[in-house]
Amino acid sequence: MQPLANITPLKPAGAIEVRNVGQVFKTTTQDVVALENVSLDVKPGRFVVLVGPSGCGKSTLLMMMAGLRQQTSGTITISGAPIPEPDPNRVGVVFQEASLFPWLTAEENVEFPLALRGVTKSDRRARAQDALKLVGLDGFGKRHPHELSGGMKQRVSIARGLVQDPPVLLMDEPFAALDEQTRMTMGDELLRIWAATGKTVVFVTHSLTEAVYLADEVIVMSPRPGRIVDHLQVSLPRPRTYEMLSGDAFGSLRDRIWRHIRKSA
Amino acid sequence: MSAATLRRLIVVALIALWEFLPRAGLIPELFLPSLSSTLAAGWNEAGEYGHALAVTLYEVAISMAFACGGGILLGAIVGSLPRPRILIMPMVSSLYAVPLVILYPVFTVWLGIGSESKIAFASIYGFLPTMLATAAGIQTIDPQLLLAARSMGATLSQRLVRVIIPAAIPTVLSGLRVGGALVIVGVVVSEMLISSAGIGYLISRYRTILDSPHVFAGVLLVLAMAIAFNAAIKWIERKAAIWQTGTRAGQDAAGEIAPTGLQPAT
Amino acid sequence: MQSGFAVKATRVAIVVALFAIWEILSRTGIVNPRLLPSASDTLATLGDLLQRASVRKDLVVTASEVATAFALAVPVGALIGFLIAENRYFADVAKPLLFFAFSIPKSIFLPMFILVFGVGFSQKVGFGFFSTIFIVIMSTTTAVESVKVEHLTVARSYGATPVQTAFRVYLPSMLPVLLEALRISMIFNLTGVILAEMYASRDGIGHQIATWGENFQMKQLLAGVVMIAAIAIAFNELVRWVETRCSHWRT
Repeated sequence: MQPLANITPLKPAGAIEVRNVGQVFKTTTQDVVALENVSLDVKPGRFVVLVGPSGCGKSTLLMMMAGLRQQTSGTITISGAPIPEPDPNRVGVVFQEASLFPWLTAEENVEFPLALRGVTKSDRRARAQDALKLVGLDGFGKRHPHELSGGMKQRVSIARGLVQDPPVLLMDEPFAALDEQTRMTMGDELLRIWAATGKTVVFVTHSLTEAVYLADEVIVMSPRPGRIVDHLQVSLPRPRTYEMLSGDAFGSLRDRIWRHIRKSA
Repeated sequence: MSAATLRRLIVVALIALWEFLPRAGLIPELFLPSLSSTLAAGWNEAGEYGHALAVTLYEVAISMAFACGGGILLGAIVGSLPRPRILIMPMVSSLYAVPLVILYPVFTVWLGIGSESKIAFASIYGFLPTMLATAAGIQTIDPQLLLAARSMGATLSQRLVRVIIPAAIPTVLSGLRVGGALVIVGVVVSEMLISSAGIGYLISRYRTILDSPHVFAGVLLVLAMAIAFNAAIKWIERKAAIWQTGTRAGQDAAGEIAPTGLQPAT
Repeated sequence: MQSGFAVKATRVAIVVALFAIWEILSRTGIVNPRLLPSASDTLATLGDLLQRASVRKDLVVTASEVATAFALAVPVGALIGFLIAENRYFADVAKPLLFFAFSIPKSIFLPMFILVFGVGFSQKVGFGFFSTIFIVIMSTTTAVESVKVEHLTVARSYGATPVQTAFRVYLPSMLPVLLEALRISMIFNLTGVILAEMYASRDGIGHQIATWGENFQMKQLLAGVVMIAAIAIAFNELVRWVETRCSHWRT
């Protein structure tokens, strides 16, 4: 990440800073306040999960961190610099299942962001192979998305997000379309990849169990207007195990989040 | 008996009946000439039919370029811009209800009874479904795909070339199939109505002298043309759309226009 | 609401603008007015034509042909469609054949109808029927298949009789699809009858239009085109309006 050193002498790569951010959607009839005065600090290498009921603006916040949408007020910096437009060298984004290009093979999908930048074919292929190996899909590169299971598709998406080695990975409900078992497996896989790469991860989900299981920190948001109502530190040891799910520490964290969400529903 | 076997038997029986009913005198040859006499009639006048086929194919080719080129271009523009789409699409569907064949006499007055009036009519005839299909195809591209491309820093032109066009191909092809079939029908029908050359003209000329075998030979030739065109597009579709199962959005779009679009009207 | 009104107003403006361009092209002589009589002249001619007994008679002839062909094609097609959709084996046999019949151009068979029926009412009705029936069969099959299996299972588990199932599950599920089918069938039916009239006929509005064209009577020809277009669009919009009114439960 050589170029990043030039952009930001003070903040280390991978830090995210959200300061007093607001977002107002204007419709023909009225203005909807989606986010109000949201502030948040994510230290490099942390795994942070955003939870909250539908309409709390957690995905909107993620889109703004990705540079896909601009806030109405406040500032957001990634690795110390604002993000006025998407920059895959600084931020990788993983969406829900549908976001793989169905006409490209798995490895072509992973190569896509490199191809946009005119990286040579052989270089592209090598880096895509590395990324696919990292997510455990060695040997599946020639398949099209419809020939892959839901979990494999999401591995491809993660590989695509990581192929340019950005310090930050943003994930918008990446496992929402998967069944329970695959979802658990993918959670473990994601933690393995995260531990191996040391990325900063911001992860949006509806699932409280998934939130507590994955996170270092859980941010709980309330809807209309979207605000941060709680910020929990999850001090469960790593690696996380299935047995922890039934432990008291896990249960009390999940209950605390649930009480916030029930209040706002 | 399996359904496929029975189906084949039905087809064979129909062809056999076509041969034997007229031969046995159960159906007058004027109504339905036997298959063999139809083929013989076509074979005996092969030169005449060949010449007519050349004229018709020439008109079809030019009309197809106008109808499909224009339809895809305008459909892409209307489909990708929300405001014109909301404004214009319902108007275009309304226009679809008009029996466009009433325009043909206008074109004969303006352009004469040569190829020009056929090309003008067939182009317009095939234009609407191609445009509707393309607009629907562009419109139903999964927004997640565009968002993903943007998150990877794709510029507007990169998004067009690498996302919008490939994602729209299946729907555009189904639009081409419908539009192309209508172009063939449009050319032949206008030749049947008023003209001095082409297969449609031959069909009508032999009809006025009640020469049924020659009428049917012409009809068979047009059928063969339509079927060959359909098969060609389907072949391209299979080649181009190995991801077909992945583009549910595109499939739905094709389904949406299918009741109106699938059918080569009249 | 406001933006909906704005959209409608803009559409009206587009139509008015098209007529205005037509008027200007002709009035200023940019286009030879003998080839393109002005919009106002055409509309005036349309008014005259509607007063004429002969034109009214043609309209009645066409309307009765369209109505007869429609009244024959819809029940027959719907019956065949139901049989196909309800019987698995029959469907496997017939569907590919139907798809094929559906996709081949129908108008090239028009001469056959003249050879069989001669020129007259039955030839035009016959061809209208032939152009319409395949789409009716296809849409009925689609309509029956659009009924959700879950809904049928629910009805059965609560002990609904076949008649109750037909009226309380099938009909409400199919209604929107059937209305759409009726609208599209009517488009094909109208096109079929008018083409048959233009091709070989002694009466009917399609025959009139063809005659005006052959005699270079541009004013009458354009007036006829505007008239048929207006009728077709009005009918189409009417059915679409009904469709939107009863499709709100369709998911």
